[in-house]
Amino acid sequence: MAYSDKVIDHYNNPRNVGQLDKSSTEVGTGLVGAPECGDVMRLQIRVNPETQVIEEAKFKTFGCGSAIASSSLATEWIKGRTVDDALGIKNTDIVKELSLPPVKIHCSVLAEDAIRAAIGDWKKKNSAAETVDAAVAVVAQ
Amino acid sequence: MLKVMDSAVPIACWSCSIGHNDSTLFCPHCSKIQPPPGGDYFSVFGLEPRLNLDLTALEHEFHRLSRKVHPDRFARAEENERQWSLADTALLNDAYRTLKEPLHRTEYLLKLEGAEIGDEFAGTNGKDPGRAPADLLEEVFELNMQLEEMRMARKTGEADPELQAGLEQAKRKFDVLLEEVDHDLHTEWNKWDEGDAAARKKAEKAMVDLLHRRRYLSNLVRDVTETLGA
Repeated sequence: MAYSDKVIDHYNNPRNVGQLDKSSTEVGTGLVGAPECGDVMRLQIRVNPETQVIEEAKFKTFGCGSAIASSSLATEWIKGRTVDDALGIKNTDIVKELSLPPVKIHCSVLAEDAIRAAIGDWKKKNSAAETVDAAVAVVAQ
Repeated sequence: MLKVMDSAVPIACWSCSIGHNDSTLFCPHCSKIQPPPGGDYFSVFGLEPRLNLDLTALEHEFHRLSRKVHPDRFARAEENERQWSLADTALLNDAYRTLKEPLHRTEYLLKLEGAEIGDEFAGTNGKDPGRAPADLLEEVFELNMQLEEMRMARKTGEADPELQAGLEQAKRKFDVLLEEVDHDLHTEWNKWDEGDAAARKKAEKAMVDLLHRRRYLSNLVRDVTETLGA
């Protein structure tokens, strides 16, 4: 099976590989995996608390070329979007952009899951933080 | 060959024309060899589908039937019977190889019951391949990081005893997890063998999950073993 040029480009020059500080409240971490192929994907976002815009996105993926390309593309796409906007990205968009063959569609599903997991983690952290703020506010009154 | 024929519907013997259930290699009436039966692998050995099998009995039956259908015995037979002895021998070998190996047997039985499992379902056609065991993701990711570091260190010719020890420890841990999966599989075998239809469905679902987990773990252990052995 031949990879498309776009997959090969992302594979050879992956964008946004790396790690963000997991403990920061501005950072959301998504860790997902597919058992059949053994792929694991970590996608992290740093969100501006004022604007809800994803200012930074990093990933690290252990897997095939399509999995790496899907997560690399995902970080490119979500950067600069608001959290809610980023949730609108569908795996089918990734499939189309990278011309993934049917046997590799699960790689794009994994990338979509990773985005959702990262945003979910960030939301969880921040709703918790809000609750603390609110509690502090109540105590202060 | 996964369709189980209704064994209540008799098939007429090509030789004596008397009907028999389509799971036998030889006509029970005239003892003539039959074309490869359309039933499942269990029925070739006269067994009901089961997960706990008496492997010694299975082997004996395999040898007994192998001798009976052996092509040498049909060297001077009619063309039809010669072909059938070859085809029956091939079927018998496939059936025995599948049933004697516990994981193959489990996968085969699950397929008979309609479960979508095995290589042909591994992430094809956009089908959800299922998710990695969530409880293991952190460790799996960490292990992959260690493996990558190890490979880099190997490339530059630097030995890192600490990394090596870490990987060996991780491998032992995943080996233990594999043993747990095998133990759990056996528990589900018993539930399936002894259960009613509802209990069987439940056990099948559990076994599909366990086989996925097992595949995932054994891939990891293989990667670690390869990297350590490199």
